Amino acid sequence: MTEAAQTPVPGSLLEQEYAIPPRQRFNPLKWALREPAGALSIVIILAVGFMAGGASILNTTNPQTLDAFSANILEGPSGDYYFGTDRHGKDVWSSVLYGGRISLKIGVATVIVGTIGGTLLALIAGFVGGVVDFGLSRVADILFAVPALLLAMIMDIVLVDKLPDFPALPAEELARVLAIAFFFMPGAFRIMRGSVLEQRSAQYVEAAVLIGARQGRIMLRHILPNITGLVIVLATISLPAAILTEATLSFLLGSTAPSWGAELSGESRQFFNRAPWIAIFPGAALAITVFAFNIFGDSIRDTLDPRLRGRI
Amino acid sequence: MSAYIIRRLLAIPLMLLVLSFILFVLIWILPGDAAFSGALSISETGNYDVARERFGLDRPWYVQYGDWLGGIFVGDFGESLTPPHDSIMGSVKERLPKTIEVGVLTILLSAIISVPVGVLSAVRRNKPEDYVLRTVTILGISVPNFWIGTLIILYSFVWFGWNPIQDWVDFTEDPLTNLAIVIFPAGILAFAGAAYTARIMRSAMLEVLYSDHVRTARAKGLRERVVIFRHVFRSALIPVLTVLGLQLGSILGGAVVAEQIFAIPGMGLFALDRILARDYTSLLMIVMIFATMFMFVTLLVDVLYTYVDPRIRY
Repeated sequence: MTEAAQTPVPGSLLEQEYAIPPRQRFNPLKWALREPAGALSIVIILAVGFMAGGASILNTTNPQTLDAFSANILEGPSGDYYFGTDRHGKDVWSSVLYGGRISLKIGVATVIVGTIGGTLLALIAGFVGGVVDFGLSRVADILFAVPALLLAMIMDIVLVDKLPDFPALPAEELARVLAIAFFFMPGAFRIMRGSVLEQRSAQYVEAAVLIGARQGRIMLRHILPNITGLVIVLATISLPAAILTEATLSFLLGSTAPSWGAELSGESRQFFNRAPWIAIFPGAALAITVFAFNIFGDSIRDTLDPRLRGRI
Repeated sequence: MSAYIIRRLLAIPLMLLVLSFILFVLIWILPGDAAFSGALSISETGNYDVARERFGLDRPWYVQYGDWLGGIFVGDFGESLTPPHDSIMGSVKERLPKTIEVGVLTILLSAIISVPVGVLSAVRRNKPEDYVLRTVTILGISVPNFWIGTLIILYSFVWFGWNPIQDWVDFTEDPLTNLAIVIFPAGILAFAGAAYTARIMRSAMLEVLYSDHVRTARAKGLRERVVIFRHVFRSALIPVLTVLGLQLGSILGGAVVAEQIFAIPGMGLFALDRILARDYTSLLMIVMIFATMFMFVTLLVDVLYTYVDPRIRY
């Protein structure tokens, strides 16, 4: 074979086929047109984030201070109290906004702990293999058999008595984060383990082994970057479920901090007939937030890796 | 096949043994005796040490674990840590059938709703029907079930002056009243369950719709209805079956919420009550019972696979 036969003629079909297409820059506008629901969900998420983050400047009184109590109990929505007041005369608008802080904080912290924990365990299981892999997988199987919500509730009450208070994260919230993360870990572990095993048998890992790279290096420098996309998708998709679980736990077990779930539970249930707004607004805030995050998660998954549709 | 089932059946007690050990470690060995002081100081104020002795909590954890394990084998489920120290077995016998009734109804409703929705959504992909159904299914997995339950109770009272919460009546006593009670918790649990299953059904259908054997079926001139139901639907059923089986776990967890809202005296309410009382002996038993049920259902689902898809053999 001659040299000329191997080098494609400039401008020929062959050259076009072999040419590396220019790397497509990510264009947010194009993406928004392709995924209008995803774009809308980002707007909602930003609005929710702004309202929770800027709660103190949005005509509120912190529901955890004494100022929050007033004589105007069970008043309907008005210009002074956008969402009405509850049985202690507290402004529901303020409770919903401050409650959003807790929900988002716990939700994000949970997803970080759960996804990182699950991924690290999966890397260890996939790499060490043998007894460790078998043991971790069986423990995940077994934990799968327990209703996750029940397990999270038990973890919550077991941990809350044993954990110290941190300035940014009191024991109550830390216990909730760990309990919900524990709830997610078996699922995250299963998905990530499958992906690690898939990458492990890839040729680039074989090559890395051949040049004498150590196990830790292969795990962290070769495999981890290749599964990052999946980790991001998994985290985005778990976030709405985490927020929902936090609300459910607060609803069932109560919470000292304002929380969307806790607003709907306990003594205040007796007043719903007289003042439906106490029930409607916190639940609606929760539903809208979770809805937006769910749509956002779907778009992220379809954008980053459409093959995952139906798998997670 | 039978060898496979026997192997799986033998694995169940082993898995339960490991689970009980994990739970024991989590509850008993983690530092701090707060777990028991919480339950006991409420119950037997002043006689803390006496109470510890009565329940054998002063012994090392492995002795307690062995004692508990020995009890299981002779059918002794122990007694509740808090007064009136009921036998756990008695409470379970009374409550479990109610939760199972709600759970079975939930799965049925969920399957009946989700399968047609998923099929329609897939067949009419990217048409208006699909967009509407997809929005509804995302709503279904987003809207908190305790909120819907609360609103149902609130507005059926405000609008119709009628309260859906009633005293429990057994199905054998009065089937209609019983169904009127059970339909609400099952309905709100099925809404979320069906939404999730419909999403799985849709993506499973879509995956099969563009495969070679479906193209062949169309090419040989089969009517679209036959193609969809005989060729696509059956192949798409496997992931749906898996999800429906897995849902049982979440339904038993969801039972806590549904039973709390609609005041159903089942296992869920029992679990919540025992959690708030820090009654760990009862909780351990509740978790074990749920896990046992889940393991048997998973086995049943795995056996059902062979009927849905003859290519699967064990």
